[in-house]
Amino acid sequence: MLKEDFVIQSNIRRMLIRTSIDCSRIDFGTVKGVVYIRGIFQISNPPADGDEVKTVHLTIHALYSLEKKVKSIPGVVDVNFQFFNWRKERGHWVPVDVREKEGEDENKPESNL
Amino acid sequence: MRTSRNLIYKRILGEVEKEVQLHPNYADLQNQFALLLMVKGEMEKARDHFLEALRLNPKYREAILNLGFLYLEMRRWKEAEEIFLPEAKQYPKDGFIHHVLGILYLRAGKQKEAAAQIYKSIRYHPFYRDYYKKKGVWRKGMIHLDQKAERALKEIHLNFHYAQFQNFIGLYLAQKGKFTQAIHELRKAARLKPDEFIFHANLGTVHTYRGAYLKAIQEFQKALKIDPCYGMGYANLSYVYGLMCRTREALRCMKKAVRMSPQHADLHYNLALLYSDRKRYEEAAFELKRALRINPNYLFARINLGVLYEDQKRWKEARREYRKILQITPDDEHIRKRLERIS
Repeated sequence: MLKEDFVIQSNIRRMLIRTSIDCSRIDFGTVKGVVYIRGIFQISNPPADGDEVKTVHLTIHALYSLEKKVKSIPGVVDVNFQFFNWRKERGHWVPVDVREKEGEDENKPESNL
Repeated sequence: MRTSRNLIYKRILGEVEKEVQLHPNYADLQNQFALLLMVKGEMEKARDHFLEALRLNPKYREAILNLGFLYLEMRRWKEAEEIFLPEAKQYPKDGFIHHVLGILYLRAGKQKEAAAQIYKSIRYHPFYRDYYKKKGVWRKGMIHLDQKAERALKEIHLNFHYAQFQNFIGLYLAQKGKFTQAIHELRKAARLKPDEFIFHANLGTVHTYRGAYLKAIQEFQKALKIDPCYGMGYANLSYVYGLMCRTREALRCMKKAVRMSPQHADLHYNLALLYSDRKRYEEAAFELKRALRINPNYLFARINLGVLYEDQKRWKEARREYRKILQITPDDEHIRKRLERIS
């Protein structure tokens, strides 16, 4: 039997808070087991030395980890990421120029964490 | 100060100081930094940062109260009174503020005013009636401020800012994923000021992160006993029941959360999910529409509403919602496919 959307939603909320993701600019929803995650994706603990390469590496790692964790929640049938600053292309996460997409963020509701 | 010897507090102080330097215009950071300085005993520096927090956000109540306690600690009675008296006027039924004013007057040697404020705190909050009874101040319906009682009461105001401090440390540790240590600190806060609902609510949240759901429920229930109008407390309780797959209780709590905080679009959305899971589609659609009235750009509420219409074979309404979604997110393949299927 499929897990209920509210149960999935509660699990995602808890999972997001427990990860190293800055949740303040992320929003999510669940429809019939399909999870939508949207917003600006950032890690909450970037390297103290400000090394950009390291930050990108850690962010990519966090993205794959998030994907894996969401998919492992019982009842989740699919995940739809709609990040303004990261996009998945041919199975790989790539950064997107935020300036060209940030205007779209005006549609983001308050964070539901 | 004994806490400054503690390595963890020193580290947190250092980290918060760095954050304040990076983001000097964040009132909450200024307030947190000032609180840490206050506990460390750097009163003048703490005062500057509380004042900075209030310059950035003049209505920041926590910073206002913290500054009041700082003045109390610095024995600057007049400045403390200037903070707490308007608070008492604004929140005349806040027993704690009257309690603090009572202590302030007592320390300033104004017995008559102190008795009047203590009487008000007893009148407005049952916690203080028991408290003053225990301290021997409230006996046979009368206030007795003898020397022994005065001594017992004089230091009690310190509990407030120590509790705030422990609460802050607890939340900080929780953010770092150190849940066991966080709970330890939050428990201290709740012990210092047991009538503060937010400490129990924070404990409930951290227990939830840890997966200790029964303990989380207990703490949220304590918070709600103190403040039955705390809408987010019911919402958090509902999420815990959700994690336990106890959706009947989750629905009951989320309904209360929505009743208490009807302005939160997200709560309507979650209530809609609970109705939808129980196939109560009309009620689900009603809640989604309420969420969209509050926030017309609430994308997920619109997706759920579109799917709900589709399930009910209300094709026209479903198409309308899907088109609106695609205006916001033209790349959404799921929604595009759904729209194509029913077009």
